[in-house]
Amino acid sequence: MKKFLLLCLFFVFGIWFAIFNFKGLATQGEYNSIILDFREDIPTTEISKDLREISSQYNEKASLNSVFSVKDNIYIVEGDKMLLNALKRSDIAKDTEYIEPNYVYGVPQNELWNCNSKNKSIAFEPNSNSLNAPNDPLYSQQWNLQKVNVEQAWQETKGDGVVVAVIDTGVSRVPDLKQTDFVKGYDFVNDKENAADDNGHGTHVAGTIAQSTNNAYGVAGIAYKAKIMPLKVLSRGGGGTVADIAESIKFAADNGAAVINMSLGGGGESQIMKEAIDYAFSKGVAIVAAAGNSNKNASAYPARYPKVLSVAAIGASGKKSSFSNYGAGVDISAPGGDSDAKILQETIDPRNGNPTFAGLMGTSMASPHVAGVAALVHASGVTDPEEVYSVLKNSSLKIEDDPLNYYGAGQLDASAAVKLAIKGKITWGDFVRWLRDNGYLNPRFWFDGGAVALLPKIVMVIVGYLLAWFLRNYLPFGWALNGGILMGSAGVFFLKGFYIFDLPQWPFRLMGSSIPELGNSIVGTAQLNPFFASVLIPFILVALLLSHPQGKWFAIGTSLGVAGCLAVSAFVAPALWGIGSGLLAQSFLVVNALLCFGLAYVASKGEKQTA
Amino acid sequence: MSITVTGAIERSEIGVGTWGVKTEGGETYELLDPPDELLVPQAKVTIVGKVREDVMTIAMIGPVLEIESFQILEN
Repeated sequence: MKKFLLLCLFFVFGIWFAIFNFKGLATQGEYNSIILDFREDIPTTEISKDLREISSQYNEKASLNSVFSVKDNIYIVEGDKMLLNALKRSDIAKDTEYIEPNYVYGVPQNELWNCNSKNKSIAFEPNSNSLNAPNDPLYSQQWNLQKVNVEQAWQETKGDGVVVAVIDTGVSRVPDLKQTDFVKGYDFVNDKENAADDNGHGTHVAGTIAQSTNNAYGVAGIAYKAKIMPLKVLSRGGGGTVADIAESIKFAADNGAAVINMSLGGGGESQIMKEAIDYAFSKGVAIVAAAGNSNKNASAYPARYPKVLSVAAIGASGKKSSFSNYGAGVDISAPGGDSDAKILQETIDPRNGNPTFAGLMGTSMASPHVAGVAALVHASGVTDPEEVYSVLKNSSLKIEDDPLNYYGAGQLDASAAVKLAIKGKITWGDFVRWLRDNGYLNPRFWFDGGAVALLPKIVMVIVGYLLAWFLRNYLPFGWALNGGILMGSAGVFFLKGFYIFDLPQWPFRLMGSSIPELGNSIVGTAQLNPFFASVLIPFILVALLLSHPQGKWFAIGTSLGVAGCLAVSAFVAPALWGIGSGLLAQSFLVVNALLCFGLAYVASKGEKQTA
Repeated sequence: MSITVTGAIERSEIGVGTWGVKTEGGETYELLDPPDELLVPQAKVTIVGKVREDVMTIAMIGPVLEIESFQILEN
C-alpha cells in the first residue's frame, strides 16, 4: 500500500511538474553549439585573429551564423559546456559582447511538429512557398499570419515608424526582436525605465506585432517596421492594478504611441481606466484589447469600453476558440489559437530569462494581430482612431452565420484593411461616427448591427402584405391583422441584436424572432426548425382563434406573414434543421408557404361568407 | 467583502498558463498569487477571499480572487 501511495505521489508530482512548466520549454538548456558576439568597435583583423586561435587551440571552426550576422559579428562554433567555459575564461572573451550557449529552441520544435500535423488535419494548408513569404525559417508554422493575409499587406506597408505600445508583462529584447525598433518605455511595477519581461507573455505579444522579419531567423511579425514601446504593468505572476494600467495608457498617449495593445483584462468598470482611455483616444491613439478567455457572452474590461476595439479569438479552422468570450462588445476576431494549433513567437522562459520559441493561445494572442494591422493601417495614412477602427471592421472577412456574435464585424484581414485604408473608400466623418455611436450605446448596453440581415426581413414583411393584398376583399386591415403579419413574417427583429452586458441574450433573440424562427432562436442557430417553419403554428392559431372576433384576424395575419417569411427564406436562406439547404428544403418551404396562404384564404373567405 | 468559494483547482493553459478554482456552479475564479500548496490540479478546496475588482490579468479566465485563507478538502 505504501509503495502504491508513493507511486501515486510520484505520478501526481510528475503531472504537476509537466503541467506547471511553461509549455514549449521542455528542451530548454540543450545546446551543441556556442554563440560568440564580437564587439563592433574592434577591427576585423582582431576578430580574424581570435577565430584562428579558436581553430588552433580548440580544433573547432567558428563561422558566421548567417549572412545577416555580418553586421553584428555573430559567430557560431560547435561545442559543449566545457568549450563554453574555456572560451569564457580565455582572452577571446575580452573581444566579445557575450559568449553563450546556442540553445536549441526546441520544444517549439516538438510542439511545433505536433501542431503542424494537427493543422493539416483541419484543412489549413501553410503556404510558405509563396513569392512574398519572408525567409524566417519557422514562418511556415505561423498559420495565423497566413490566415490574415499579411503577405499581401506587406506589399503596401510594413508599418514603418508607427509606435505600438505593448501594455503587458514587459518586453525583453530576444534575438528575434533585435532588428525591431524600440522606443523608450517604462516598468510601472518596479518603477524603472527598463521594462524587461519576467513572465514571457509581453514579449510573445510584442513578437506578434513586430517580430524581426526577413532576418533568416525564427518567426515573423505583422508590422515589423513599427516601433515597440514596452510598458510593464503586470507582475511576473501576470496580474496588475488598474491604477498602473491607467498610468501606462497615459504614458503611451503622451509619448507618441499611435496604437495601444492590451492583452489583459478583468475587474469591473473603473473611472481612472475610462478616463485614461478617453484621454488616449482623444490624442489619436487606437486602443485594442483582448475580449477575455472565460467563454462568456460579454467582453471583459478594458475591451468593453466604448473607445476600445474588443478582439475575440479564432482557431486555425476559422471557428471561435473554445475559451474566447463572444457576444456583447466583441468588435472583431483574429487568430488566438486553440489547443490544437497555437500562436508561435519568440519569447523568454520565465524561469531563467533565456529566449525560447513558444506556442501560446488566448485572446491575448488575438489582440496583437489586430494591433499590428492597426499599425499597418496607420502607416497607410488613416490615423484617426475612429477611422482606423472602421477600416479594420469594414475590411474584415464577414461571417454570415454568426447569430451569437462570435466574430464581431468579421475576421481580421490585413490585406483588405491596408487596401481599404489606401483607397479611402469610406466616406469619413459624421457617417462613421454615427455608425459607431449606434454600435455602442454605453458600456451596459450593446447593439450588434450585423446580427440581422435587414433586407430579407423587410422583404418578408412586404411579401406578407402583398399576399394580404390578394385577399383584400376579405380582410379588414386592423391592428390584429397587421400584428399577425409582422409576427408571422419578421418579428420585432431589431431586438435580436440587443445585448445587456453580463445578462443572457436569448430572451432578446426570442422576442426578436418571427414565429417560424422561434424553434431556432434560443439555441442561436441560423437553421430554421421545420416544425416551427411550417403551416403547423398558423393552422393551430386559426383553429383556436377562428371564433374570436379580433383573434381570428391575428391568426389569419400570422398565416400570411409566415407565408411571406417561408417564401423569402426558400430563396434567401433555405437552411432547415435535419433537412439541409438543398432542393428538398426549398420545396418544403415553398409548399408550406402555399399552404399558409391557402389557409388564410380559406379562413378569411369563410368568415366573409358567414358574416 | 470576503466570499467563500468551494471548488476544484484547475490549471488553465491560456497564455503562459494560470491557476483557477472552478465551483460546482460552473463559475471559474482566477487565483491571485496562489501559494504553492494550492497548486494541485483537481484538488477540492474551500477558499475565503476577496474578489479584486481593481486587478486585471493576462489570463482573463474569470473574476480575480485574492486568497485570505484556504482549506484543502481532498487531493
